[in-house]
Amino acid sequence: MTTTDPATRTSEPAATPPSGGPTGMAWVRENLFPDVWNSLLTLTLGPLLAWGVYALGRFLFVTGRWEIITVNLTTLMVGRFPRDQLFRLWIAIAILAVVIGLALGVANSVARAAAVESGDDYHRPWHEPIRRFGPPVTLLIVMGVFVRTATPLLLLAAALGLAAVAYRLGRMIPIRRRGQVNLVVILGVIGAQLAITGFDGVPRSVWGGLLLTIYFTVGALLFAFPLGVAVALGRRSSLPVVRGTCMVYIEFFRGMPLVVLLFTGWLVLPFFLPPQFPTPDIVTRAMVILVLFTSAYVAEIVRGGLQGLPRGQREAAQALGLSPWKQTRLIILPQALRSVIPALVGQAISLFKDTTLVLAVGLTELLQVARIIPGQEDFRGQGLFAETLIFVSLIYWVGSYWMSRESQRLEAKLGVGER
Amino acid sequence: MTESTLTGKSMDAGGTGETMIELTGVEKWFGDFQALKGIDLVVGKKETVVVCGPSGSGKSTLIRCINRLEVHNRGRIVVDGTELSDDVRDIQAIRRETGMVFQSFNLFPHLTILENITLAPRQVRRKPKKEAEQTAMDLLTRVKIPDQANKFPGQLSGGQQQRAAIARALAMEPKVMLFDEPTSALDPEMIKEVLDTMEQLADSGMTMVCVTHEMGFARAVADRVVFMADGAIVEVNDPETLFTSPQEQRTQLFLSQILVHPS
Repeated sequence: MTTTDPATRTSEPAATPPSGGPTGMAWVRENLFPDVWNSLLTLTLGPLLAWGVYALGRFLFVTGRWEIITVNLTTLMVGRFPRDQLFRLWIAIAILAVVIGLALGVANSVARAAAVESGDDYHRPWHEPIRRFGPPVTLLIVMGVFVRTATPLLLLAAALGLAAVAYRLGRMIPIRRRGQVNLVVILGVIGAQLAITGFDGVPRSVWGGLLLTIYFTVGALLFAFPLGVAVALGRRSSLPVVRGTCMVYIEFFRGMPLVVLLFTGWLVLPFFLPPQFPTPDIVTRAMVILVLFTSAYVAEIVRGGLQGLPRGQREAAQALGLSPWKQTRLIILPQALRSVIPALVGQAISLFKDTTLVLAVGLTELLQVARIIPGQEDFRGQGLFAETLIFVSLIYWVGSYWMSRESQRLEAKLGVGER
Repeated sequence: MTESTLTGKSMDAGGTGETMIELTGVEKWFGDFQALKGIDLVVGKKETVVVCGPSGSGKSTLIRCINRLEVHNRGRIVVDGTELSDDVRDIQAIRRETGMVFQSFNLFPHLTILENITLAPRQVRRKPKKEAEQTAMDLLTRVKIPDQANKFPGQLSGGQQQRAAIARALAMEPKVMLFDEPTSALDPEMIKEVLDTMEQLADSGMTMVCVTHEMGFARAVADRVVFMADGAIVEVNDPETLFTSPQEQRTQLFLSQILVHPS
């Protein structure tokens, strides 16, 4: 590049950014072998990396004995769930597909309306849904490889179809009926669980695999977030008793390892309950522990968001005559929660992975299934741990990665840090 | 304390002669520090009072006490016949009748300008949405930014934000407007648009208490100017007298300091 006088440069017709970079050999020289030290690094790490890729590829496609996954796919998904009751699970999936489709449809029309009102033209690139649902769809395709009969694929396709129809329907529902739709969603979630456990169904204690993992993650999140927000607000209360209680609560649950809490709930809690009070089943106890543990962290995250708000925001709300509860609900919380979305999603991802710890109290969630199946009669002594662990890691990774991507999307949409 | 000599002026309600705000012996402590040392002041209906003084003299604290953003420790504050007490209903009643404009605007960044303005009328006054939005658009037209209604505060200039904040306060149809250094955070070229809005408001008969250093505004608009120092009122007079022939030495010193560089 020759340096040009700034004056002449500005008079050039179009100031285009330098296009691309060097190509071919020039790129190799510039990036891989710029000097002795970097050349050495390239020569050492290059072969190592190549070998790693080769070894992994060979394992994945040649030496790996994936029939252990094929044979146990159902077990990985649902654990000891009675096979003749699986139809209940599909009913639940169908119900969830419908309510999620409805909710997304309504969310879409809300976004449209907001865009129209603020004068932007609402335009979504055609590939956005593909990008958005890429990770879970990829995972489903991987699972499809291990499926032995076409039935689950057909049923899954039917569920997706239901979701699509519900989405269309959701977009036709007037926005002012949002509240009713939310109610339908809540009823749907409860109904989905009832479809499995109710009507002489399958008690949760025999659930397992991915089903149990997702149940714990979603269930604990649904309860831990509101509870955490409430504790965070209580932590800043002007009443010393409330403030103190919330502080003790947070410090207690943050100061205990989750495994210890789970053991406590499993072994110790029954002794402290009055005899006439029936001890709740282990799934409920584990769920309560996960909720209490997560909500303490959520509370601290939300408190951070509350403290980050300028004092003037509350003062302005006070000066307008809003009641204290409305100041919090309409002005303080929306801003505080928005600013801590990344940390909250981080906590959700943590919870998703921490559900593996319920294996400590004898529940066969996904990881526990993966630990057990290499010991089955057909596979015993063959050491097929790598196959099962790689398979479940993929599920955990895709789940976490997807949550993290959705959080970035949400941040961008709500304009965190801009407004 | 010097207020005994000026009680006359500070207790004479200007405007229509009827009393809107009455402060008697108001004291405010922050820990060991006494921020207000027995303030006596009466603001009449439709009167515009400008409060000025060096920083730390308690002028912001004074007007923040009027709508209970600060709690006064001694003395009485009566706004339009309602005395401020610990009773939440009294506080809410006074806040509903008092609009406040802040130095740093304090618009709600997660709501559009229109939502900022309609929020309190809808939530506190229970106005229907359509009606609240109609009022909001009228107010935005009055402060000359109707085309910004659907933008977010962060997309507006400082001057536009402050005018939106004035519209937000006016939407509650207050009987009194309090201004806490409304132009101090603004770039010079935006000060005028905000002062013009305030002047127009004063002309329309609004009762206003303004903490400001804009002496041009005080001369043009104020019925009385209150000069404060060290938590006490030093001198109260009509702007012409106070600026041209201040009685107190403290006032003279302050005026000489701020008037050396006429802008």
